Amino acid sequence: MIQANPASTARIAGHPIHPMLVPFPIVCFTGALLTDIAYARTADIMWSNFSAWLLVAGIVMGVLAALAGLIDFISNRRIRAQKPAWPHLLGNLVVLALALWNNFVHSRDAWTSVMPTGLILSALTVAVMLVTAWLGGSLVYRHGVGVAE
Amino acid sequence: MSAARLALASALVLGLAGCDEEPFDRNAQIGPDPKLPEQKQYLVPPMRVAPVVRWQDGATPSVPSDLRVQAFATGLAHPRFVYTLPNGDVLAVEAQSPGIEPTERPKDVIMGWMQSYATGGGSPGPTNRITLLRDADGDGTPEVRTLFIDHLNSPFGVALVGSDLYVAATDALLRFPYREGETSITEPPTVLTELPGGPIDHHWTKSLAASPDGSKLYVGVGSNSNIVENGLEAEQWRAAIWEVDRATGAHRIYAGGLRNPTALAFEPQSKVLWAVVNERDELGPNLVPDYLTSVKDGAFYGWPYSYWGQHVDPRVEPKRPDIVASAIAPDYSLSSHVAPLGLVFVTGNGNGLPGKYAGGVFVGEHGSWDRPEFNGYKVVFVPFANGKPNGKAEDVVTGFLDADDQARGRPVGVVLDRTGALLVADDVGNTVRRVSASGAPTEAAQR
Repeated sequence: MIQANPASTARIAGHPIHPMLVPFPIVCFTGALLTDIAYARTADIMWSNFSAWLLVAGIVMGVLAALAGLIDFISNRRIRAQKPAWPHLLGNLVVLALALWNNFVHSRDAWTSVMPTGLILSALTVAVMLVTAWLGGSLVYRHGVGVAE
Repeated sequence: MSAARLALASALVLGLAGCDEEPFDRNAQIGPDPKLPEQKQYLVPPMRVAPVVRWQDGATPSVPSDLRVQAFATGLAHPRFVYTLPNGDVLAVEAQSPGIEPTERPKDVIMGWMQSYATGGGSPGPTNRITLLRDADGDGTPEVRTLFIDHLNSPFGVALVGSDLYVAATDALLRFPYREGETSITEPPTVLTELPGGPIDHHWTKSLAASPDGSKLYVGVGSNSNIVENGLEAEQWRAAIWEVDRATGAHRIYAGGLRNPTALAFEPQSKVLWAVVNERDELGPNLVPDYLTSVKDGAFYGWPYSYWGQHVDPRVEPKRPDIVASAIAPDYSLSSHVAPLGLVFVTGNGNGLPGKYAGGVFVGEHGSWDRPEFNGYKVVFVPFANGKPNGKAEDVVTGFLDADDQARGRPVGVVLDRTGALLVADDVGNTVRRVSASGAPTEAAQR
């Protein structure tokens, strides 16, 4: 017998909310790494301001995405049972923790708002996010989480 | 101002700033050779702003027993600077920030809340004007109060040379015609020179002093940032004292590297220019000390690259060791984050104050926000001998914070009135107070 796909709980008209929100933190944190690199190369304050806004937007949308994901995770035992589920959740908590730390570092003034701690944190955030986003992709495209029958 | 916001901010501060500051003797930062601790870089710098309660139930500042304090004028709108005209009339410059600083970063949103909290928020009513106060009988209570000059763009410094009255607005040095005894000026001013105003205008106050011979004007122009976080290009002609030719308006930078030179005065004996300067924030509760210094022609005092000589600030890029090497240390530390905004030499014209103050300076210290323990919020006296500071600063006017560390007021500009008594502007309490020798010339007002 073929089992049905594990269903999402936080959804709108059958569309899971979590994957709608997830692109925001991915793009924002990746963008912040790029603008940090631009600042490190130029010392042009505009780039560090971009980084600061991207990090704030990334963490706000990231927390919303996490809440939607958490509802799905808690509400459906079969989602929790998928092999990538726990590493995806814990890894993304690490991503959000790094980004929160990075937000405070970026609230410093001028050069030390990025160099060196801010740039290192931006790179770590993106590195961990590559893994967790891959795991999230596995949950949907391989394990069918939230995919309609 | 929302209490919830403050609670949130406090929680963040307590949680992230770390409460384990080492004990530090603030006295070690008063004098010519301050102790400078290690720099710190924070996730959230320590911040503490006094909630505003203003002067209630007859509360007044405290002074030593040989002095007494009176309310000279109340109900003003952010009085920042006071100036005495030759006939004894007192000008109270009421002003507030032009408020044109853009929100460039998420942090600016938070700092905006902090600032409105520190000033008590709300509108003080019409401001950006100069009020004239005339106490002809010298009893310490002005019997004439008029609107002297209106519609100024965030004014601060005032200086009279002959019949030319100069007002340093945030974007221009203005000249008004003044005739002795008049109580209102409605003629439009002449612009002697424009000054760096917007965009941004982070440190907006322009301090002003005339040279003893009246030929030059000196204008203190603050930086456009804490530490170049608005870019180095925003700092053109800023963080400097300008020398302006009074006849032509031609100007040059007289001394640079002075982050925010908020008050200027000439030492009467040596005729040397002195300034009080507000130094940078967010390197720690005990960095960097604000200072009082003589200002040497052509000298560079460090900002933004370094402080107190060659102490390099890591937040400035590109590094400029060549410029750092040229920086000189200021003369006298007032301790960190006290925010000196007023400076006056005691010239001994009259007997308004006890003789022990002769020759020294009074400094109005607006008070700290960037350290866990308050500093400043008082007027101090620094004794002078032979044109140099000579001894520890002592507290003269205190009590601006109440027992619960709430702000009744915050002192700003200081000046002597025609009897030689001290006038202190208070831009949170919205008053000008007069401090005089107890029992001296204002007996009448005692009754």
